[in-house]
Amino acid sequence: MPNICLKLANKAENVLLVRQALSGLAEVILLDPVELNDLNTAVTEACNNVVLHAYDGAEGPLEVEIHACPPALRVVVRDYGGGIKPRVQNAENAPGGIGLPVIRALAHRAEFVDLDPGPGTEVRMEFSTAAPPTLEEPATELLFEFPPAGSHEPAETMVLAIAPSSLARSVLPRVLSGLAARAHFSTDRIAEAQLLADTLITRTDGSLGASHLSVDVGVAPRVLGLRLGPLHAGSAGELLGEDGDGRDLCGMLDRLADAYEVAPAGSSEVLALQLAARR
Amino acid sequence: MPASSATATLNVSAVSGAHEDTNELFARWQHDEDRAAREALVRRFMPLTRSLTRRYGRSSEPFEDLLQVASLGLLKAIDRYDATRGHAFQSFAVPTILGEMRRYFRDSGWAIHVPRGAQERALKVRDAQAQIAGETGHAPTVNQLAEFLELDVEQVIDALQAIQAYETVSLDAPRPGGDEEAPSYGETLGMDDERYELVELDVTLSSVLGHISPRQRMILRMRFMEDLTQTEIAERVGISQMQVSRLLRRSLDQLRMLTREPAEAR
Repeated sequence: MPNICLKLANKAENVLLVRQALSGLAEVILLDPVELNDLNTAVTEACNNVVLHAYDGAEGPLEVEIHACPPALRVVVRDYGGGIKPRVQNAENAPGGIGLPVIRALAHRAEFVDLDPGPGTEVRMEFSTAAPPTLEEPATELLFEFPPAGSHEPAETMVLAIAPSSLARSVLPRVLSGLAARAHFSTDRIAEAQLLADTLITRTDGSLGASHLSVDVGVAPRVLGLRLGPLHAGSAGELLGEDGDGRDLCGMLDRLADAYEVAPAGSSEVLALQLAARR
Repeated sequence: MPASSATATLNVSAVSGAHEDTNELFARWQHDEDRAAREALVRRFMPLTRSLTRRYGRSSEPFEDLLQVASLGLLKAIDRYDATRGHAFQSFAVPTILGEMRRYFRDSGWAIHVPRGAQERALKVRDAQAQIAGETGHAPTVNQLAEFLELDVEQVIDALQAIQAYETVSLDAPRPGGDEEAPSYGETLGMDDERYELVELDVTLSSVLGHISPRQRMILRMRFMEDLTQTEIAERVGISQMQVSRLLRRSLDQLRMLTREPAEAR
């Protein structure tokens, strides 16, 4: 099961978010900078292929899965379009055409697989690393399906699922900084959003109803909407309740978030919050 | 005038070479040692080399240095390519050029220099942040910083991560309010002065700050840079003073462990 799943739109600016996730990962598993550079370059090429070629100029999903248990790192970049057939021949004349040779050169192993049933393509890459195996593989894959966002349908959304929480604490704040920058947050406000995310990951860790923490982020001009889950039914209320340490979390949310609520989601619940850019 | 006539030949062949078959050029260089053919090949594949340098050297600078390394890789590829194997030159050249850059990174200690370069950039971003905030009264956005410093957004975002680390390290910054009075650090109940611990760790700190959480970094910053008491931090962050105390303790212990390990390993 992957440690990190990202579901994004195949937009050029989203590739930055994938790299932020990889940097966060590198920090946790102590990847050396040369290894990270290889990983970054190859994964960027695979993502750029999806951005440029998978949907023939239309928009579609870009999915990235990262299995992060050294000595092997595996990354899958997936699309559901008809494009990105390997175009190695004649590529010297095609802009972007050196992506696949680059992937082949930098990854220890690389496969280009047509999805069955299609349409779609997976680029499966494996990287060897000298980093010590510090992460355990998550037991189950549970990509949580968030219910529709409701009244404020944001301009754009992305979903992340991360396990374990030590990894989430490094990856989510980085990805958030990329999204907050896009939503025109000031640097101070970005730091606050990161602090809040870190606290929420820590505090909800014991209440997660799945191996992965799933986070759905909606980006609108000057606003980020965050939903975290799935939490055991009733646990979010407990976290925010008056008793025990919960009061602290409430105080922090009052100060740093612009709105928050516990929302039911199937048999579990999610914590939803809004962060405005402020000044 | 052998030199200038050679140059003239090169230019002509570079232009006419655009339509010449790549395999033909390889034959002329590898069998007939025709240097003009080699030059034409270099020109033909220089855009590929540039493109690879840009892609692989994203977080490296300066670009021109790395491009030279990549060009060396291109020359090696041109000399070693065996056209009779039936593979396109490109599929041979890409790994050769990337391999050359990779080796350069390893041999030149790039793995150490990159974090240092990133830290320098972080300082620039931090200064710009202060300057813009001073002028406008508001912390800048990432786009404003990127525009101001002519960096791309990603570089600014990476720099912001590094700033959090850097700020915790700068303990030599003058404390507000002068130093005649008893240090405010001592005011907190039952606390050792963690500040001295951090000073001890200072030298090696920047390399390990990445290993503690953003929250821990922020609390360290509030404590040591902004001179807030634990109670004040507790109010700001919305946790109890005891939790602040524990977090500070834990951060310092972690940092101590991290800074010690490499020294003892030697």
